[in-house]
Amino acid sequence: MPALEIEGLEVRFPGLDAAALSIARLHLPKGASLAVTGGSGSGKSTLVNVLAGLAPITRGRLSWGGTDLARLSALQRDRFRARSIGLVLQEFHLFPGLSAFDNVVLPIRLSRRLSGEEAERARSLLDIARIARPRQAVETMSRGEMQRVAVARALLGRPQIVLADEPTASLDRSAGRDVAQMLLGLAEECGATLIVVTHDAALAERLGRQIRLDAGRVLADPVQDRAA
Amino acid sequence: MIGFILADLRRFAAGALAVIALIGLSVALSVAVTLQERAVRQGSARAADRFDLLVGAAGSETQLALSVVFLQPAPLPLMPGAVFAKLAADPRVAWAAPVGFGDSSLGHPIVGTTTALVEALSPRLAEGALFARLGEAVVGADVPLSVGAEIKPLHGAPGSASETHTAIAYTVTGRMSPSGTAWDRAILVPIRAVWALHGLERPGITLEEGYGRRDGGGGAGFPARLREPLAATVAEQRRQLHRHGPIDRDAALDERFDAQTPPVPAVVVKPRNVADAYRLRREYRSETTLAVFPAEVLTRLYRTLGDGRRILLGFAMATQGLVLAAILLVAIIHIGSRRRQIAALRAIGAPLRAVIAIIWGEMFLLFLAGLGLGIGLGIAIARLVSGHLAAATGIAMELGWAGEDARLLLGFLGLAALLSLIPALAVLRDSPAAGLRA
Repeated sequence: MPALEIEGLEVRFPGLDAAALSIARLHLPKGASLAVTGGSGSGKSTLVNVLAGLAPITRGRLSWGGTDLARLSALQRDRFRARSIGLVLQEFHLFPGLSAFDNVVLPIRLSRRLSGEEAERARSLLDIARIARPRQAVETMSRGEMQRVAVARALLGRPQIVLADEPTASLDRSAGRDVAQMLLGLAEECGATLIVVTHDAALAERLGRQIRLDAGRVLADPVQDRAA
Repeated sequence: MIGFILADLRRFAAGALAVIALIGLSVALSVAVTLQERAVRQGSARAADRFDLLVGAAGSETQLALSVVFLQPAPLPLMPGAVFAKLAADPRVAWAAPVGFGDSSLGHPIVGTTTALVEALSPRLAEGALFARLGEAVVGADVPLSVGAEIKPLHGAPGSASETHTAIAYTVTGRMSPSGTAWDRAILVPIRAVWALHGLERPGITLEEGYGRRDGGGGAGFPARLREPLAATVAEQRRQLHRHGPIDRDAALDERFDAQTPPVPAVVVKPRNVADAYRLRREYRSETTLAVFPAEVLTRLYRTLGDGRRILLGFAMATQGLVLAAILLVAIIHIGSRRRQIAALRAIGAPLRAVIAIIWGEMFLLFLAGLGLGIGLGIAIARLVSGHLAAATGIAMELGWAGEDARLLLGFLGLAALLSLIPALAVLRDSPAAGLRA
């Protein structure tokens, strides 16, 4: 039940007085979608990192469906992420030397034997991503294709949570549109809770709710405002 | 997993190959030293096998053993022939054979001896028959002469031969079976032919004209008491040497020896049993004669050789230590430059054990490849050296593995496995978020 529950969350970096991120309260129901916007240095990336369990939380609570990431060790966060979170990053982090197909199934192959059903899903995801030759080495593809492969990889395990950090920032407009289309469509298909950090207004508008961060604090949140 | 490791290694192919070459060379050094030392030791032990006890004139034990076992050209002092005659008649002796050096042909040493030694070296001839006349010869397995060929002896050892003896030419009558020793390169002729050729069996000729004289001046290595009766000048001796007429090469072989027997540099003795061997050795260790077990002398030499090996092996190990340290450094720097990749693997959900296995596996694979290359290269080097040594000494050297090699190999693998773990564990310190920013 991956509803997001944040309370008194604080992330500090050593040597810095101000908290990089400080969120008193944030709630997102299961299956909802959220766009996080803000300028550079606003704490967007820090938010994605703690949401994904990639970085430790200094104080407070960040719970996904009852699992408080603040209480998990780095190793446990790795496991939680592998099980529940599909992650799409601005720099696609595909692995050169491997084909598109091999990149999509890499997370599964590194943890267990790939099942026939999973291979089939990988092929259909690549089909949705409009990758004509799944065996093509990934480093020879266009940036748009690469990011669509990365989206396919994130969605292969039908994650309950999908996190995307600036998924369209390094793409041109039409490639960005394609990626956004694919990301939203697949997340909806999985019924996943979707959080996208972006400064792409067109993309942000397509998500159910938008918040804006500034200096690590939530500046504008229509839902919270309404509740208040 | 393996696919990922291989794809990754392909991307860093140049670096990977350099690391493999580095490991390979250092391993090759150890392998070659170990194999070569063992081959030399075993090869020469086999060569010494055939000679139980050697008796010669008082002098260097080592020189006596080396001269007879390896036919190493070096002047040996002469021992009165009566000693040999007495040994040959001793009931504790199964057989005794003289060895007389001094001549060579086509780079092969000519050794004067009796049929007893030929039979001991090659109980069955590979070809032909024993020598039965003064002008006949039996050749070692590696001498490129066929039965019926003629041999013109040159005075002097192979490589330093000075003049051709014109008094006799030997005819090859037989060939010995290969023994894997220096004697495979020797030409064996009746000892009396050597004596006659060097004028030792004619009355009035001094010892100094004998075999073993290589410097042209004569006498350098000869005990003073043998030199004393010397009256003639060197020039006078020379004339005498070349004055004697042709030797009757068809004269029948005479292998009876008595107190008048001319002097010999060494006698190979086959005692009837071990107790006799020790008794004989004690008896012939005297003021004027020397008795040695060549195996014992060689064992002493190997101890020196073994020290050399330990030093070389020490260097090889130190080299390996340096190489390992260098590789670790490279690995850690390399891992540092790959923090992003490793963080990305974790970010997309690869389990930590897979990440560690990948880094460990890559390192270990490099070690394995280096080890394989090193063993192959080491064997190739040892083969090459063995081939050269065998060609130079006539001693067959076979490369072989021993149990201790397996221990060394396992030790290396264990160490490689452990060292490979260090860069893998270094990854754990990092949070994936920090790695992704790198």
